[in-house]
Amino acid sequence: MSADDTHAPVEYPTEEISLTINGESVAAEVEPRHKLSDFLRDRQGLRGVRVGCEHGVCGACTVLLDGRAVKSCLTYAVQVDGAEIETVEGLADDGALHPIQESFHEEHALQCGFCTSGFVMATKELLDDNPDPDRDDIEAGLADNVCRCTGYQNIYDAVNRAADRLEDGATTDASDHPGSGEADDE
Amino acid sequence: MSSRPDADASADAAADPESDSPGEVGSDERFTGRGLNRVEDRRILTGEAEYVHDKAPESALHMALYRSVHPHAEIEEIDASAAEDHPGCHLVLTAEDLKGEYNPMPTGLHGFEEWSLADGTVRYVGEPVVAVVADDRYVAEDAVDLVDVSYDKLDPVIDPREARDDDVLVHEDVGTNVGDHEELTFGDPEAAFAEADHVVEGSYSWGRISGVPLETAGVVADYDEDADTFSVDCNIQLHTLVDDTVYETLGYDPDDVHLDVPPDVGGSFGTKIAIHRYCCLAAIASKELSRPVAFVEDRIENLQGGDMHSTQREYDVKLAVDDDGTIRGLDFWFVDDFGAWPRYPVNQVLKPLSVLSNAYDVRDARYEYDLVLTNKTCQTAYRGFGVPAHLYALEMIVDEAAEAVGMDPDELRRRNLIDPDQMPYELPSKNVYDSGDFPAALAHVQEKIESERDGGLLDPEIVEQRRAEGKYRGVRPTVHIEPGVSGADWTDRQRSDRESLADRDRDDVAELPEHLRAEVREDGTVLAHLATDSSGQGHQTLVTQLLADELGVLPSAIEVDYLDSAAAPTEYGSAASRMAVMVSGAAKGLGRALAENLETLASEVWDCPERDVTYRDGAVERVTGESLTLAELVSHDRDRGDRLTSASYDYEHPATQLEDFDEALARKLPVYPTAAFAANAPIVEVDATTGEVEILKLYSLRDCGTQLNPMIVEGQAHGGLAQGIGAALQEEFGYDESGQPQAITLFDYRLPSIENVPEMELDHSETPSPFTETGAKGTGEGGMIDAPASIACSINDALEPLGVKADQIPFTPNRVRERIRRVEDE
Repeated sequence: MSADDTHAPVEYPTEEISLTINGESVAAEVEPRHKLSDFLRDRQGLRGVRVGCEHGVCGACTVLLDGRAVKSCLTYAVQVDGAEIETVEGLADDGALHPIQESFHEEHALQCGFCTSGFVMATKELLDDNPDPDRDDIEAGLADNVCRCTGYQNIYDAVNRAADRLEDGATTDASDHPGSGEADDE
Repeated sequence: MSSRPDADASADAAADPESDSPGEVGSDERFTGRGLNRVEDRRILTGEAEYVHDKAPESALHMALYRSVHPHAEIEEIDASAAEDHPGCHLVLTAEDLKGEYNPMPTGLHGFEEWSLADGTVRYVGEPVVAVVADDRYVAEDAVDLVDVSYDKLDPVIDPREARDDDVLVHEDVGTNVGDHEELTFGDPEAAFAEADHVVEGSYSWGRISGVPLETAGVVADYDEDADTFSVDCNIQLHTLVDDTVYETLGYDPDDVHLDVPPDVGGSFGTKIAIHRYCCLAAIASKELSRPVAFVEDRIENLQGGDMHSTQREYDVKLAVDDDGTIRGLDFWFVDDFGAWPRYPVNQVLKPLSVLSNAYDVRDARYEYDLVLTNKTCQTAYRGFGVPAHLYALEMIVDEAAEAVGMDPDELRRRNLIDPDQMPYELPSKNVYDSGDFPAALAHVQEKIESERDGGLLDPEIVEQRRAEGKYRGVRPTVHIEPGVSGADWTDRQRSDRESLADRDRDDVAELPEHLRAEVREDGTVLAHLATDSSGQGHQTLVTQLLADELGVLPSAIEVDYLDSAAAPTEYGSAASRMAVMVSGAAKGLGRALAENLETLASEVWDCPERDVTYRDGAVERVTGESLTLAELVSHDRDRGDRLTSASYDYEHPATQLEDFDEALARKLPVYPTAAFAANAPIVEVDATTGEVEILKLYSLRDCGTQLNPMIVEGQAHGGLAQGIGAALQEEFGYDESGQPQAITLFDYRLPSIENVPEMELDHSETPSPFTETGAKGTGEGGMIDAPASIACSINDALEPLGVKADQIPFTPNRVRERIRRVEDE
């Protein structure tokens, strides 16, 4: 056993990056080895970025990088210099849930919730590209994300509901969608 | 029967969270039984939810572990000097450092001494040997890379059947690899097998499969030097039941070690009951350093050495059957490979006794197992707890019986189903099924299949055409029981003196109730405290619904929090499909207890007899017409020592209230007083060329008694079925012959994705349990319990023309092809 605090601290090389995160300009010094996921979580306090595997399979850490869904565990922070990053924290508008978030809630498309940030961001990319996806489009769009709780059935329904809702604008008639749950006023 | 849960959009429309005062509703307003959206969702969807991975404070140091690369070796020397010299490293721990002050970790069987770090011998790849604590995780891993361990390699034992020969011992000091063995006989199986017209035999394998939640284990331990206590934030499951694995290791009293599980845990499915090693090491490090110490298991650690693999079994099964299809007797023998150490879930070899003959009426049976130790990662619990493998082996031998008798398997199954007028039905193994109409469930899915035969997926013309292309379609419906609401007393059977079990009587049984407490806050809202942890099941929502109804207030007037392990009494916790029954019983009792206390308080305030006051819908009313709201009552309660605006309630385990279970309880046989059930009909297509199995559609009729929240019930079914599909077809922790794990990334351990989970059409019936407060039955494990067996049966049907059986789970493409080739070569 050793409890040794007497050494001089190690100097790790750093790089300076500046980027936009959820619309805010950010400048930071990062080690080249720091993953974007760790940078967002530990340095920027964006803990809604979940880390599930750190090898690019589970998709819990999915964020949007210049509008494209990427796995932030497979991206280094130094790679996003000058980029625009969106995370789940940036979706709600002044406390009002984004239609995708609202649809996941109403369709019971989350249980433990650990994969949810990633699914919501992947859904955003999918619907930004294709506002009216069919079942195959949804499968292809969300195939990079793993959910261990829901069995995906309600995620399909949530994506469809979100697509309809986004198409209709902010005002959606929930009665069109006999979902799993009951609508509640948020 | 409705195919979708209740979706009345008006239910909670009045529950306006912005409202000034807590809502009140008419007493006929009911939230229970409806698909109320979850109160947990908002914080999760916005990213605000704090999982344990998010808990480390700025001041925390971070731990990383050096793990064994060998399956079996003596440790010759540990040289950690370079790690200790690393400037960012604060602490290095080995087993030697633990021995002075701390204890080995409790295990599931007596006679094993397991330290939190390998002591002299490593017994599986991934076993932690050295703990390193450093400034952050990156630095900690740098320091781990500097640890140098030299080994003297030993032969490993990997095959569970071979392990029984004891040629290589996993534990020299124990002297055998068979950690536990028992043979149980019910009725007269010898006579049944001797008299029956046919005896069929089969051998079946169930691969090493587990839960693999998306969130790995995590801990933040903080030792308080002044109080000499530990605060341990962690995502352990059953934090009030298995807390002994932490406080005993640390050498402290239960009250001095606070295991605090956050309201949000990223899935567990049973697996996280065995993360105690991390809690112990982080707590020890925190004490040594007087700093908070955090640990987050990474995915590779989790898959190869995270103590979270589950059931791996080899079965030899026999069935005695008469010419008319009557099943006369069952005989199960199996070996279960527990890996290197027997952890608490050793009793999953016993749980199948609670559903010994599944949905069939069979009186004579033999049940025998060997629990063996091998050089693999230790087993933990996983959804179903040993039952999925049992039902799979049983349904496979039932298929063999149909073949031997020359009877249609559907007909043979139907003839043997337990009839509704036999309910409650006592199994020969003494557990009791509470209620259910199994033949009706089977008939329901058979109708669904029939509807597919005319122009649908099973239209004979289409089936024929696909077969010409080498694609074999099939379906074979089956009925499955999900045993719910385990008792606690029987679970230590293997650590009890089994010889004396026959002498035990009912008074020796100690069951654990479910505790729930609540207080009214100044603003008149109610804060309830769960004593058990959750990992995504929506317990806060369920308690909110039930208390809202019981108190006649809106869900928005209820908040639900959690107690840490020191504040809560010892509970069983969220496992064994317990919570729907236990928490709903507790919530109803708590509502009544709180209302009674409020009536007492109001009668004191008014100085009137209690018979003159009545609690109703968020207020106490007096016969004279006066009333006091919850907020007003709190203001009168402030100066009392013994508060009456709070209450607690302990819901007794239902089996303890019923004589039906006396014998099972006294003899420590598995007690599961609810029998949820499902009839499944997965339509499969097997590609004989590639060996791939596709589930085209899955029909299921599910019954878990009274549904407290149909939306949550359906969600549990979807998720369980998806895990069952993964188990049946693609998930496995394989090992090669040298003991190296073959699935250490999520590329290798193949979780189902949105692309390979089929369309599910679920219907629900409700046969209330006569044994529980709310009529609910446990239903957290169902899909995982029933999907693998039913998929295997459908594969047997599909491949009948080729003479191939799904005799191994998971039935992966290479195994399908291997069997087809074998048949072709014959």
